[in-house]
Amino acid sequence: MFAYILRRFILWVPSVLLVMLAVYALAFYGAGDPIKLIFLRAPGDVAYDPAKIEAIRDQAGLNRPFIVQFGGYIWNLLQGNFGNSLVSGRSVWAMVKAAAPVSFQLGLCAILVTAIVAIPLGMIAGLRQNSRLDYIILGTAVALWAIPAYVAGPLLMVLLLAVLPDGSVPYGWGGIFSVKVLLPLIVLSFQPIALILRQTRAAVIEVMSEDYVRTARAKGVPELVVALRHILRPVLTPVVTQLGLIMITIVNGAIFVELVFGLPGLGRLTVSALTNSDFPVILAITLIGSFLVMLSNLLVDLLYPLLDPRAADAKGAR
Amino acid sequence: MDNKMTPRGAGLTRRGMMKLGLGSVVAVAALGPGARIVMAQEGQILKAINPAFSQDWSPLRGGGVPYRWNSVWNASAMYFNENGEIQPYVLTEWAPNADFTVWTFKLNPAATFSDGSAITAEDVKGSWELSAMPATKNQRIDQVLANVDGYAAVKDGAATDIPGIAVTDAATITVTLTGPDPIFYMRLANHIAPIVKVSQARGADGNEVLDFFRPENGGVTSGPFMLTAIDLDAGTLAFAPNPHFFGTAPKLAGIEITAVEDNVTATEMLKSGEYQAHTELVTSTMVQDLGAEFAGGPTIPTSQHFWFNAARAPMDDPKVREALILAIDRDGLIKASFPDGPHQKTDSVMNSVPGADDAAFVPFPFDPERAKALLAESSYGGPEKLPKILFVGISSPANEAAAQYIAEQWRQNLGITAVDMKPQQDQYAGPDQNAVQIFRDDVGTRVPDAPSYLAGSIASGSGNAQGKMGGYKNDAVDAKVAEALTKPVDDPARVTLAQEAQRLFRDDFMFIPWYKQTMSRWATANVSGMEKNLDWQIVAPWAISIA
Repeated sequence: MFAYILRRFILWVPSVLLVMLAVYALAFYGAGDPIKLIFLRAPGDVAYDPAKIEAIRDQAGLNRPFIVQFGGYIWNLLQGNFGNSLVSGRSVWAMVKAAAPVSFQLGLCAILVTAIVAIPLGMIAGLRQNSRLDYIILGTAVALWAIPAYVAGPLLMVLLLAVLPDGSVPYGWGGIFSVKVLLPLIVLSFQPIALILRQTRAAVIEVMSEDYVRTARAKGVPELVVALRHILRPVLTPVVTQLGLIMITIVNGAIFVELVFGLPGLGRLTVSALTNSDFPVILAITLIGSFLVMLSNLLVDLLYPLLDPRAADAKGAR
Repeated sequence: MDNKMTPRGAGLTRRGMMKLGLGSVVAVAALGPGARIVMAQEGQILKAINPAFSQDWSPLRGGGVPYRWNSVWNASAMYFNENGEIQPYVLTEWAPNADFTVWTFKLNPAATFSDGSAITAEDVKGSWELSAMPATKNQRIDQVLANVDGYAAVKDGAATDIPGIAVTDAATITVTLTGPDPIFYMRLANHIAPIVKVSQARGADGNEVLDFFRPENGGVTSGPFMLTAIDLDAGTLAFAPNPHFFGTAPKLAGIEITAVEDNVTATEMLKSGEYQAHTELVTSTMVQDLGAEFAGGPTIPTSQHFWFNAARAPMDDPKVREALILAIDRDGLIKASFPDGPHQKTDSVMNSVPGADDAAFVPFPFDPERAKALLAESSYGGPEKLPKILFVGISSPANEAAAQYIAEQWRQNLGITAVDMKPQQDQYAGPDQNAVQIFRDDVGTRVPDAPSYLAGSIASGSGNAQGKMGGYKNDAVDAKVAEALTKPVDDPARVTLAQEAQRLFRDDFMFIPWYKQTMSRWATANVSGMEKNLDWQIVAPWAISIA
């Protein structure tokens, strides 16, 4: 097991280096110069003085050749130094350290909510295929799927502001056990619930026609046992894969939800870094995002053998 | 059996529950408003919304969203009130020499920092020098110190000391300029380079000490409030009254700022009364949503226009430029973009400065027939031969509404259909500016002075002329602006020369005038004392109170 994890980590390092090189090159050669942007984005009475901008760039080390800058960045990174933001001067590590746990906790909770709600409902819909209950569940899922987070978030917020008394509207971040998390969690879970529900339902319908399910029923195994033991386990394998992918998307990109509910997570940090071409921050987020992708895939891989022993055999063969 | 399941004393009879319910209602009714009364007695807290999770609250940046709150916690040399009248602050007296090249300033002897220490002449000199250092990234320090002897070397990173700023004695500063400037004292009356405690803010290398202003670093401030808590990740700041403030004691017990990025949410929070103020809320329905009181305020010397890039076809033909201007009903333009205000239509480049109302200035008429004839007479011969016209800086709903209206007027009145619009103004800096025909941008000044307004907008040395107008240069305009700048403030020629320059510029047909800017209070009607000045600052933060 340890060797497997180590092998995955070693394979991750060169790929993340390549990604970071590409991101650095895009930031370096692209249109965005963080120092110029400070002056150009401001209203018209700001003086755009090329000599002053060059002096600032010099002091920030931005006039060095590309490879020197990138090499310097990686060297600092190896020593645990993520550098400072070019715009605010803050330590990038401090910024990421504050933002990543928010997104990570939120993403994890959203996945839990999704799994708890969507898998049982998908099972019920699949087992009661073409019944009224199936139509209701499926219809709700489609409706949820159709509401993007940037619509659901503001709508729910406006509704609550109109209904709840002053000061009681959930806004900002108060920790994962705070009531403030409920609303963003609901909005974040809307589309994943719909996706997982539909996937579970489709998988259940497919598995129900398998011979071993028919055999179990013919042997008189109670329907609940058939559903939980013979249908659910094979259904879970693709669903868990999907949940892993959703987790990555939520952690790295819950931009609208973070914006509407004032959550200081990675999504908001990403937008701000990209807007300002603040490449030390962009690179740190890329690194964290890439690490999360690796971690999530690893977790999913480790879960497979628990769901399906054949996966463990296959991994052992590798 | 039942008694065993219910803990002794915990069981409630129906009558008991009714009593408890009634008691709760009475308690909420009595103590709820009571709690508010207690809060009011202890002091009022202004709760404000900031539209961004700003990561840099240094008072020395001279721009950005946090700059709008500078006057709350930092004192400046002087400041302008909402009527554009200069007021003493850290500096109380000023006098020039005969040719306006040397200025002498006297310090307020009562001026202190929040730790009780005196604000010294060295602090004033050091604050200005620190703001000039390139690493400080102050966006507007040029507007304050550009004419000071030795400033150029510091802003270019070649020096750390400005010899033109001299501490004559503990209470006197002398500033030597590179040329005459009769309004130099006005250039100091803003929060672009506020007064900070230099021993704390400036490192041995002359650069700013990172986060010197934060409470955990013992940050000392000079304004009416002091920063007591800051959490950049949560987007929250708290200010309390500065016990050693040398001016009028603040009425508020504190100010709390919270980041709310989404404008819809922010608007609803303001409507609900949960928050009372906003840093800068710009929505097309601001007046309908929050009332005229929220958006109201004085007009400031800043105006928004659409600038023609004369270096780019078809703007290289004056007849095309004139045709494009005359084809637009500008009354309709302002109605399309700001139907309920707060901004007002303007005809001229400069606004809200002495001399802006010029009876001899002839506004561009709305004359579609003349516009059509001019286009036909132009070197392009008609609409079908014009290249596509690209607007940039179309980055807000109001900008979009205005640009779409202009495009529609051109389609209806001139038959022009090839028009494109893009939001990213900053992508067209430098040589790329020649790829754009029209820039939407503001021009203005931080001093109530007509020649300064024009020097920064239509004189050939301005960034606006060099960049957005494609290197526009009219020698007659330049000469009049340059001459006006040398005239004393009380010399009528200062204004008349500027007016003449503006009239000459008008005849070059280089812009579509749009609106003069209102400096909104961005505070609900129950908040008083939130009036702002031409520096976009709250004029008297100590006077803010909540009804």
